[in-house]
Amino acid sequence: MSSNEQKKVKLTSSEGTEFQVERSVAERSVLLKNMLEDVGENDMAIPLPNVTGPILTKVIDYCTHHRNDPIQNHDDDPKKSSEDIDDWDAEFCKVDQGTLFELILAANYLDIKPLLDLTCKTVANMIKNKSPEEIRATFNIANDFTPEEEEQVRKENEWCEER
Amino acid sequence: MSSEKPLPEQVIKQTLPSQASQNSVAKAATIPSELILQIFKYVTSTADLKSCILVCKSWCRCGVELLWHKPVLNVRESLIKLLVTLSRSTQTFPYALLIRRLNFTFLIEHVSDDTLKRLSSCERLERLTLGGCRRLTDNGLLKLLDKADGLVALDVSDIENLTDAVVELVGERCRRLQGLNVSLCKKVSDKGILAVASKCRSLRRIKLSSCDIITDQSVVILAKNCPHLLELDLTNCDQITNKAIQPVFENCTQLRELRLACCTKLTDESFTKTMPSLYEQLRILDLTSCALITDQTLLKIAHSAPKLRNLVLAKCGNITDEGVYHITRLGKHLHYLHLGHCSRITDHSITHLARHCTRLRYLDLACCTQLTDASVFELSHLPKLRRIGLVKCALITDQAIYALIENRVVQHTLERVHLSYCVNLTVPAVLELVNSCFRLTHLSLTGVPAFLRPEVQRFCRQAPKEFTPHQRQVFCVFSGKGVKDLKQYLNNTVITQQRNRITNGVGNINDQVVGPVAAVNAEIEESVVSEAEGVGGDISEGGEGENENGHNQDDNRSRNRVSDRNPEGEDGDVGNALLDF
Repeated sequence: MSSNEQKKVKLTSSEGTEFQVERSVAERSVLLKNMLEDVGENDMAIPLPNVTGPILTKVIDYCTHHRNDPIQNHDDDPKKSSEDIDDWDAEFCKVDQGTLFELILAANYLDIKPLLDLTCKTVANMIKNKSPEEIRATFNIANDFTPEEEEQVRKENEWCEER
Repeated sequence: MSSEKPLPEQVIKQTLPSQASQNSVAKAATIPSELILQIFKYVTSTADLKSCILVCKSWCRCGVELLWHKPVLNVRESLIKLLVTLSRSTQTFPYALLIRRLNFTFLIEHVSDDTLKRLSSCERLERLTLGGCRRLTDNGLLKLLDKADGLVALDVSDIENLTDAVVELVGERCRRLQGLNVSLCKKVSDKGILAVASKCRSLRRIKLSSCDIITDQSVVILAKNCPHLLELDLTNCDQITNKAIQPVFENCTQLRELRLACCTKLTDESFTKTMPSLYEQLRILDLTSCALITDQTLLKIAHSAPKLRNLVLAKCGNITDEGVYHITRLGKHLHYLHLGHCSRITDHSITHLARHCTRLRYLDLACCTQLTDASVFELSHLPKLRRIGLVKCALITDQAIYALIENRVVQHTLERVHLSYCVNLTVPAVLELVNSCFRLTHLSLTGVPAFLRPEVQRFCRQAPKEFTPHQRQVFCVFSGKGVKDLKQYLNNTVITQQRNRITNGVGNINDQVVGPVAAVNAEIEESVVSEAEGVGGDISEGGEGENENGHNQDDNRSRNRVSDRNPEGEDGDVGNALLDF
């Protein structure tokens, strides 16, 4: 086990910065795990042109903390509510919005399901109990509906207002 | 919810250009829709999702897909407004085609043939739950199902007007069908079942409970054509004979759940001669009232299905201690055992059972009248016991109750305790039970004289409507808040009495007999018991009332109403929602 732990993997961010991480940390990413299994023993750095240095730092941070977690079942688990986020994870997600969305993209690209779930839950929590107008303001989204279109969509979906 | 996972390749294509330029920062507006959907999966409130769809066009597309995938229809007004949208001539999205699942469990009174006709544009339906919508007839069902080529699960249970015509159409149209529940559709005959069995080869679950005109013919063809069957429910199909069971065991090698309750013609032959020597995947077997079977069947089952988890043998009157010894072979795999009315069994086999099947969670021994405190002593060591039924085990005394809690094993697990007609029980013992089992949510004490008093019975739940006046008089079942109230009341009276005794001295015992009596004092208790016995003296079979049936009803309800509701939650994965594939 200890010899395995020592094995390092090199990753290169989009700017060309090199990161060294333990293999068990890198393997939290299904993408990297598959790559490492394919190439076998190799000192070559793995280029990650889609991930910037600061984001990769955060991702490594996350994977290091969660390196010993049991591997999640591949099935979606929609019952898990967006409420149950543990303290460390909540702290981890206290970042600016740009970083949060970059993390979603990185988690998706690197195929780290628990990180993708966590970041998506965090965004979902930011949506809770807000009006459409408040959501637009929160995420700086432009309203591209015409008033008529918006009214029609509202009417068509009135049924789900009843409780 | 939708299970499609975003394909990484797609996402990369969309994100690469903006990412490569490095200056641009990711924003909500530039997140690809696959990931917006991923986020929306955690937006669990319909109201929030409703807000999301009005944010912008791309969010609208994602949100609408989720909202309409499985419309939440809890009130009639929702249904009406949904139908209005579907009837609009211009729609922003092809809403009808977004609907994949419809569940009318909460609107059974309001669903009519007209409702289904107006939903007939939902051509991509995958799951349809109409159980209990009794206003429906073939007309509406035929219209809706005519285009439902992609239907995977259909629950039309308890629609009494439904005929073979509907079942035949299902066979014709829904070739991908995996789950069918026609329980209580008493007009369904072999003709309908043959159509389904010969066309829907991927059928996995079929419930035919109380379709009592079907014969061996249906079962034989189902077994031969549908080798993937996981669940077969033939409860109350009392024309079924041994001949039907043989092909089931021969062909359905994946069967996990087999319900044969009240198939009264079945004999040992069904099992001893035809069950393969290894039928390992079987987890649930219900043989309630298969009164002809004997210990020989149990011997065979315990060998062939070593991983059996649930075994129901209620009212199999031939079962003896020997049979129970065979069952103990199942060891830790056995979680649920019903031996109600197997009145030949004694403390010997129950002792053996408790020592070998240590993961039992649910055990019913109602009307096993030979059992004594000795059985309960042993059962008190079961570390996972959540529910114990001892209705009419009249030999049981307070000692059993004290033993049950004394070693502090089951007090952490017990949730439901059935003690009706255990006539020897007294208030102090039951109070001790209620005080120490903090998970207790159900306690039945029907016909226990010490509890048949208005000041205690006021905390019990209402007797079922169909009960006779006498049954009402002895009815005494506490659930949920009732258990808490009972506990509080008994504790208060005991404290009051103790205080009284300290202030008045023990000599004034007669004063207390008049007051609210839930005495710790044995003398008082005795007088109460003899008094109450006068009331409930003639406890007849008819007076069983709550009895073990009070519990059975719960079980049946969750079994028949196949949808997601399992009020007890105690059957766990046994709750077998048809919709859970």
